[in-house]
Amino acid sequence: MRKHWTIFKIGLVNSLAYPAELIMRSGMILIFMWVFFQLWRVTFASSGSETINGLSLRDTMWYLLLAETLELGRPRLARTISDQVKDGSIAYILNKPYHFLLYQFSNGLGESLPRMASLFLLGAGLVWSMAGPPPPLANWPLAFLALAFAWILHFCVNCLIGLAAFIAEEVAPFEWIYQKLVFILGGMLIPLDFYPAWLQTIARSLPFAYMMYGPARLFVRPDPVLTGQIYLGQAIWLLVLTGILILAFHRGMRRLAINGG
Amino acid sequence: MADEPTLTGSPHSAHTRAGQRGLLPFLLALWKANLAAALEFRVAFISQTLGMILNDGVYFVVWILFFDRFPTVRGWGLTDMFLVFGISASAFGLAGLLFGNAFNLGDIIVRGRLDYYLSLPRPVLLHVLTSRVTPSGLGDFLYGFLSYFASGQFTPAGLGRFVVAVILAMIVFVAFLVLIQSLAFWLGTGGAFTGLAINAIITFALYPITLFERGAKLILFLVIPAAFMGAVPAGFVRAFDWGTIGLMALGACGFLAFGAGLFQLGLRRYESGSAIQTEV
Repeated sequence: MRKHWTIFKIGLVNSLAYPAELIMRSGMILIFMWVFFQLWRVTFASSGSETINGLSLRDTMWYLLLAETLELGRPRLARTISDQVKDGSIAYILNKPYHFLLYQFSNGLGESLPRMASLFLLGAGLVWSMAGPPPPLANWPLAFLALAFAWILHFCVNCLIGLAAFIAEEVAPFEWIYQKLVFILGGMLIPLDFYPAWLQTIARSLPFAYMMYGPARLFVRPDPVLTGQIYLGQAIWLLVLTGILILAFHRGMRRLAINGG
Repeated sequence: MADEPTLTGSPHSAHTRAGQRGLLPFLLALWKANLAAALEFRVAFISQTLGMILNDGVYFVVWILFFDRFPTVRGWGLTDMFLVFGISASAFGLAGLLFGNAFNLGDIIVRGRLDYYLSLPRPVLLHVLTSRVTPSGLGDFLYGFLSYFASGQFTPAGLGRFVVAVILAMIVFVAFLVLIQSLAFWLGTGGAFTGLAINAIITFALYPITLFERGAKLILFLVIPAAFMGAVPAGFVRAFDWGTIGLMALGACGFLAFGAGLFQLGLRRYESGSAIQTEV
């Protein structure tokens, strides 16, 4: 456990080594949130109602902020792992006294946390000034716990895509399409509440909703039933995806051929 | 540097003039070689092309869902989005196919990798930009046409206008990338800023321009030229208008002049550690 904590700290230090770069990269959330505000401000105004399907403009903006924070702040592990598989550098991690997947988890978390914090703080300032104050503090623990589970779900899928390099020459298309499925079925650009009922049903039965919609929705409008549904969904998908990931990792290791060094 | 390289070439010798005479054959040969290199990894090339078409198509579903729920945004509807998305995707893809290094020019400058191009009797900027192909660009380029056909605005003349619009939008986009990344000559770094700039122009180009008020629109024409990648060319595809094509041409020439001019200015400050590098 201590060695993974050390790996986490190294990732954290790496991420914080260039604060100007970190803030510059986080700056893109300002563009996205400003554009989203223009879109939803006009949309709410033309709907002639304060709320759409239970969400106000303020709720929608804070929902989108949390979703964007997760999307822009999560590590792009698929590309890293697939490069390691393709160029053989995976061998240098495998022969160290730590588990490959736990190494990626600790390092990825260390790099991701400062990025997410920076994105959230920058974005929150803008959203607060445009749309109003954040949701009540009581919502925050529920949302941030769901955010942590969502991060792990993303981690599992990213690792699976990266490990696909054992069998596919190019994994980038998998990554693009996965990201777009999160955009749509995860409710990243439009909250799932605004979708037609049939699509909401489909989305809620897939993992993407628990990777994005869950934490963002709990942040703005939690209710006991929804909270239970989201945590249960996350738990089920965590079990399923972790199982598949461990299986895929062991299969991949059996295919791995290392020739010298 | 005693002999400053110019935008169109280094005035070192008669090689330059010979190089300029054969500029088009040189570019064609370079593009052909780039394509051949990309096709060496045929499965990766095809999967990236098809993957990008699918990726763009899936992304557009967001707009279909949005306009299904909210049919217009200040007069802007799904048809407009098909056109804007089509032009932006094709222009973005064409930039990657023909001028692939436009996306990492800043990195080339910072790492001192311009040495290679400076030593050759070819226009430096053009040579750098065309020395790389982004395989997924073909997917974006083709998807743009699919989006245009799906818009319900297809006519043979409209297709001609679409092609013109894509070329002019691509010039603006590449020029903007050159402009932004030439700042690396002064800043010494540029990765994060480049990413920010690319995200900004693409994001603004893909959203209805009717969302933005007058001040913001001015920025989208003069600072982040997203209007020239989306709304303006979309208007031209819908109906021919001399004013619109004039505006597009002016935007393309203006940003190209600014981009190339700044690169040229930056080149005077360029230094490298004479590192041994291999261009592959």
